[in-house]
Amino acid sequence: MSAISSKNLHKTFSQGGHIIKGLDDVSIDIEEGEFVCLSGPSGSGKTTLLNALGGLDRPDSGEILVGGKRVDQLGKAELADMRLHHIGFVFQAYNLIPVLTAQENIEFVMQIQGVPAAARAEKSRAILKEVGLEDHENRRPSQLSGGQQQRVAVARAIVSNPTLVLADEPTANLDSLTATQLMDLFVKLNRERNITFVIATHDTRVMQYCRRLVRMEDGKIIFDESQPGIG
Amino acid sequence: MRTNKSLSPSILATLAWRNLWRNYRRTLIMLMAIVLGVWAMILFSSMMRGMLDEMVREGLRVLPGEVQIHHPEYRDDPSVANLIGEPDAQLLSVLNTAPIEAWTARIKVPGMISSERDTRGVLLLGIEPDGEIALGFKLADVIEGRFLESAADKGIVIGRKLADRLDTELGKRVVIMTQDPDNEVADRGMRIVGIYRARLEATEQLNAYVGRETLQKMLGVGNSVSEIAITANNYQTVKNWWQTVADAAGDEQDTQPWMVLDGYLGTMASVQGTINLIIMVVIFIALSFGLVNTLVMAVFERVREIGLMMALGMRPQWIMLQVLLESLMLLGLGLILGNVLAVFTILPLQSGIGISVVGEGLEMYGMGTTLYPKLALQDMLLSTAVVLLLGLAASLIPAWRASRYNPIEALAKT
Amino acid sequence: MSVTTRLAWRNLWRHGRRTWLTVGAMIFCNALLVFMIAFQFGTYGLMIDSSLSVLTGHIQIQQKDYQAESRMRYSIPAGVDLAARLREQSGIQHIAARTTAFALASSEERSFGIQVYGVDPEREPDVSTIPGLIKTGRYLLDQDAAEIVIGSVLARNLKLTVGDELTLLGSGRDGSFAAGIVTVVGILESGLSELDRSIAQIPLAYFQSVFSMGDHVHSIVVHLDALGAVAPVKQRLVGLVQQPELVVLDWDELQPGLRQAIQADMFSAFVMYAVLIVLVAFSVLNTQLMSVLERTREFGVMMALGFSPGGLARLVFLETAVMSLLGLTIGCLLGASIAYYFQVFGLHIPALKEAMDQYNLPAEIYPQVNLISVFVGPGVVFLGSMLAAVYPALRLHTLEPVAAMRAV
Repeated sequence: MSAISSKNLHKTFSQGGHIIKGLDDVSIDIEEGEFVCLSGPSGSGKTTLLNALGGLDRPDSGEILVGGKRVDQLGKAELADMRLHHIGFVFQAYNLIPVLTAQENIEFVMQIQGVPAAARAEKSRAILKEVGLEDHENRRPSQLSGGQQQRVAVARAIVSNPTLVLADEPTANLDSLTATQLMDLFVKLNRERNITFVIATHDTRVMQYCRRLVRMEDGKIIFDESQPGIG
Repeated sequence: MRTNKSLSPSILATLAWRNLWRNYRRTLIMLMAIVLGVWAMILFSSMMRGMLDEMVREGLRVLPGEVQIHHPEYRDDPSVANLIGEPDAQLLSVLNTAPIEAWTARIKVPGMISSERDTRGVLLLGIEPDGEIALGFKLADVIEGRFLESAADKGIVIGRKLADRLDTELGKRVVIMTQDPDNEVADRGMRIVGIYRARLEATEQLNAYVGRETLQKMLGVGNSVSEIAITANNYQTVKNWWQTVADAAGDEQDTQPWMVLDGYLGTMASVQGTINLIIMVVIFIALSFGLVNTLVMAVFERVREIGLMMALGMRPQWIMLQVLLESLMLLGLGLILGNVLAVFTILPLQSGIGISVVGEGLEMYGMGTTLYPKLALQDMLLSTAVVLLLGLAASLIPAWRASRYNPIEALAKT
Repeated sequence: MSVTTRLAWRNLWRHGRRTWLTVGAMIFCNALLVFMIAFQFGTYGLMIDSSLSVLTGHIQIQQKDYQAESRMRYSIPAGVDLAARLREQSGIQHIAARTTAFALASSEERSFGIQVYGVDPEREPDVSTIPGLIKTGRYLLDQDAAEIVIGSVLARNLKLTVGDELTLLGSGRDGSFAAGIVTVVGILESGLSELDRSIAQIPLAYFQSVFSMGDHVHSIVVHLDALGAVAPVKQRLVGLVQQPELVVLDWDELQPGLRQAIQADMFSAFVMYAVLIVLVAFSVLNTQLMSVLERTREFGVMMALGFSPGGLARLVFLETAVMSLLGLTIGCLLGASIAYYFQVFGLHIPALKEAMDQYNLPAEIYPQVNLISVFVGPGVVFLGSMLAAVYPALRLHTLEPVAAMRAV
């Protein structure tokens, strides 16, 4: 079964009086356990597609199915629930809530889910260890480096066992070494936990990790193929 | 996975509390404003309450008895023609039951008093001394001579100011003159056996005490009296029991509580709560602009975080709740500090603030020259309710706006 | 427009909502102050007017001990002549002589001790509103007639109507027995219950003969059109009277409670206003401090470009001044229009009828809009706001350009 799929997505914006096609008849099918990169120049529609797939934004027309269920017609609250339970997000920057510590940021999602305190603490500590930040649980985001912040964000994205993690330019603000370490973490999680990753990026370092590369331009998919020999 | 639609409140509280102190300067300034506002609300109500209390007590001190029974025509025409008999058995049984603590019967007629030098109009009060003392007359107020000793006492007790005006003194004789029910002039000479002092000069000039039986004999009215005055020694509880007295006294007699007997005091008492509420609301409105501004700023600088939380699956109404909680914490903190400040500043003032500078002006309002602020739990609760209710109402707009952000746009904001 | 002014203006509208909220606090406070102060002036004017115009007048000439102890024998000899001379020499026409005594008033059915005034029927309308308050019958006409006008409640209590007779018993100036029978010719109703319950007036000459006053009177009452004229007129009268036994008293001395009542009311109102103004100042302080803090980087750049900290402080003050002026203008306009509306149409507060009655006021109040009531309150708000900008402006002096530019 596909983890997530879309059929004939259309989305237009108006910007400075011009109509811009954000998504132009996009159909894509992503299987469970895949590791997909969305690439393309800025404005090509990759973030728009990611937002639509993640239920952050609604397409003008077309269908989106998550786990076989239509989500494009859901209301705001139902979309929030869907994101909470099925999808993890990693953004380019400002991923964390500044007033919460690393551990609290990870527990945040579980707290809105209503997970009991003891279970939350156990799980968040385990996952901090998994991303290599076991000694940093009481630090606030401002006391962490950029790479560490992104690791906390990844930890938070996977803590509630989502089927799908969507990452938007996760390495944009990182140096090469940190970026590589982050991608290694992604790959490890993909393998060990069978989490589906969709990463929007124009960073070639990232694309090297992707088993499937989707290229977009002007809101259209122009290129979609598996890269043998990766993974 | 379990879908829990109800959120865990602790995380919202944590977020709200920490966010509150992110910009501690702003929070502290706003907190100071709220504390000042709350303090002022309670201070003004305490002053008002103290003033009203003083006015009512003074009013009741002049002629004690929170509830009085008269002839139906007496209040319109307070003359000797409109008298009532002594209480019957049914009324007596009520008058001797709690909460009533004391009652007395008086005969009260306008009259003239003449010394060798001058003549004045007075209110002749034919009283029974023990009953009058039980109703609140203070023997210590008699500064020269003595108070009346019995209802048959043949002397007269007048006020200090009246004695001055009449150019007379203790031990001298005066002539009192009034009319009997047949409109014949009744007069007799009396010796001044006591001189009393009152808080208001007007009282000293108006009331002259004589023995009830002496006055009844002089007027030839048998055992009839002008009024039966009743007290439970607490003017605020009157509304709980005066109707019982009225029922026992029957329709033939006019039974009224002080609120009706003194329309001015009654009005003041009934509008006091409204005036306090208006003052509180006005102070709050002056505060509210700052409060809304603080919240708008707080939300505005956190747009991106709010977008993030929404992207992570936090529902809009929870975002709203979080902002409201933040506002509530600020208000609550201000309320606690404001109330504490009010208690500590007003309690020492309760023993009285001397305001003799404007004393005569206040006497015009029927008050003494000392103001006794009265801290009341009721006012503290009212100010708390006003601040919390209106505060939440004012916070709704910024909170609602925060919940309406579109996560993508909010996240894109730099 | 200078660069600083243009910068200040544009900066304010970068956060339009915030600016308007701060200005809103000022508008609310200013409008409230303007209205309340105009309302107070209206009330005080009424209090003074109604207390003085009814009976007391603005100035009285009395025997020197009469004010402290109003005894019959503390009187002014040849009072009517003195009043006539003063009218002639001072140029003020509204001067009349009066006498007062306590008497037992007995009708067929009732008796009450009352204070009786002896008034000059011809002159009294010049100094008192009472002659104009006659409800039934007429006012006194003849100096020597055995006539009386009384208040409506007193008439009811004495069970009297126009045409009935009333006996007055009292003691004369020399302590002798005084008695007279008068006919009720008029009943007056002022709406002020105290007055309606107590007032009784008989002709002056008749009073003098009944109470053995000779040509003596107790007071010479002067009515003026404006409170401001009291002091100079008093001076002139002191010069004209020239009798050591007599004193000239102004309304403040005649009714010391009145001024103090006004002062007491003003004081409590001003405490309330002070609280409101401080609250507004807090609001301004908060806004300006935030606006300074969030512009740290921008200010760093400006300093690097050569702006002095003093220049930046001027900018902050200018911004505050623009906001305060906006608040002042709109607040004053709003408050003054509301107050002016009621100045024209009257403000009716039925709930306070009894209270107003107590202070001898009618239930309608007309606020007085004038320069003082419009600008005093808002002026203080303006100063308070400028004062609140001092702390944020001072913070600018601690700014280091390089560190500031690095700030977020």
